[in-house]
Amino acid sequence: MKKLLFAFFSLVVLCSHDMYLKLDTFFLQPNGKAAIQLFNGTFAESENTIDRDRMIDVSVIANGQRRTMDSTHWREEGSVTVLDFTTGEAGTYVVGVSTRPRSLTMEADAFNRYLEHDGVVDELERRRTNDLLDTDATEKYSKHVKTIVQVGEEKTSDWSTPLGYPIEFVPLSNPYDLHPGDPFGVQLLWQGEPLANQLVIVDAEMGGAAHEHGPDADHDHGDGSGGHTHDGMKQLRTDADGTLEFEVSQEGSWFLRTIYMQESTEEGLTHESNWGTLTFGVAHGHSHGAGADHTHEHEGGIAAYAWWIGSIVLVVGLFVYFNKRA
Amino acid sequence: MTGLTTRISVLAIACLAPALLAAHGVSSGDQAILSEGGLLAYVYVGAKHMVSGYDHLLFLVGVIFYLKGLRDIVRFVTVFTIGHSITLIGATYLGIRADEHLVDAVIALSVLYKGFENLEGFKKYLGVRTPNLLVMVGIFGLIHGFGLATRLQSFDIGADQFLAKIVSFNIGVELGQVLALIPIVFLISRWREKESFDALYRSVNVYLCIAGVGLFCYQLYGYFQA
Repeated sequence: MKKLLFAFFSLVVLCSHDMYLKLDTFFLQPNGKAAIQLFNGTFAESENTIDRDRMIDVSVIANGQRRTMDSTHWREEGSVTVLDFTTGEAGTYVVGVSTRPRSLTMEADAFNRYLEHDGVVDELERRRTNDLLDTDATEKYSKHVKTIVQVGEEKTSDWSTPLGYPIEFVPLSNPYDLHPGDPFGVQLLWQGEPLANQLVIVDAEMGGAAHEHGPDADHDHGDGSGGHTHDGMKQLRTDADGTLEFEVSQEGSWFLRTIYMQESTEEGLTHESNWGTLTFGVAHGHSHGAGADHTHEHEGGIAAYAWWIGSIVLVVGLFVYFNKRA
Repeated sequence: MTGLTTRISVLAIACLAPALLAAHGVSSGDQAILSEGGLLAYVYVGAKHMVSGYDHLLFLVGVIFYLKGLRDIVRFVTVFTIGHSITLIGATYLGIRADEHLVDAVIALSVLYKGFENLEGFKKYLGVRTPNLLVMVGIFGLIHGFGLATRLQSFDIGADQFLAKIVSFNIGVELGQVLALIPIVFLISRWREKESFDALYRSVNVYLCIAGVGLFCYQLYGYFQA
């Protein structure tokens, strides 16, 4: 029964109206063009674009500098809003978008369904406990999304710089030092302070997801046009310090999402919610030593060079030997 | 094996050990090229991987050494190509992969196998008939293709044009293979008529055995260390 409930919960979460910053790849070249997609819908499929006037802040943090992007950097591509920008020097970049609040009035049943579908279980429980399930709601909501990308090889500490959004995930380590199997810690901030006991959904989409599976596959697809998520979706709670930790079990695109909902005392409103997401990529799984700087010289560096020279020396030595014996 | 050969072999393995793990790997530079270069970037990285991935080349060197005449070479290389294309495209498309070290360890065994076979090891040391080479090349082609598929899946290639990207990478592999084979075939063909060809034949195939064992051990070491 618990499994069924979780499967239902997983399904409805995949059908929610979350907002994410997403890239075809989270690994970019320095001084190159980049396109960051703003998905509004699920992680697999964007259902609509976002108007420019809804964006309060669009920022890129790189090499210790924060750059604000104006509306001219955006374009629409079908139902996806795309941010075009040019990367600079190598480093770990942070990109964020914060949207203006909107309000929405819903009848009690619709509001309850939304709370259930979007994983706002604490508020649903509060309504249930206080016998408020029949009460209509007017909710003010805003979304604050963030992605961390790696440009070139050099790692910088920009990943730890908060954007200052009302709700925000801040990693406790550079996600680009991660490999499958590593633990990853994140702190959730509300108005700059740790937010304790908050439900967070964590999941990943494998790279190259356009393949199909048999009917018994344990994957849950969007519409098949995008990637897919796996049954590794986790519901976690932040601890007293607002932190949570999970294992990055596979390579691919990882996302965290949370909706923090409170009762509102503002006139005409019953609730206020702030939606936060964080996305980042985890690439290949070969191992490095602790603290390795992640530079790769596998194919054209000294190691390959040594291999070829060693091989030639060995073959020549063997040739001389066999030729003498002939 | 005489004392001198043993000493040379041990010395070579000791010298090459640090480089063995580097048979091929994923570089962040390649990831960046793939991210921004479109399908041609996949062709380029595929070709680069084949040219620099010396375990594939060593196996082909072993195959070519055994063959006489262009027709034979084309026949065997075609079987190898079909084999690795099937698993490269199929496994990547279906998302099937295995531990990189284990796959590379099996590929290393194919290098050892070819050197051993060329030295008539089956007959001399095992007293059995040599397995059909065309069939074995086809089987090893499938294994090498699975290695290439595992490598390609190490990259974050996204969901757009997924099949086209795999096919482009495969085309690159074929181009890289042809580019690498041209000088090898040329050299072996020219040398075949010289008196010293027998010494070259034996030295290269002994080297293939040593390299195969070295690569195999190092990949296993990498597997248990990972």
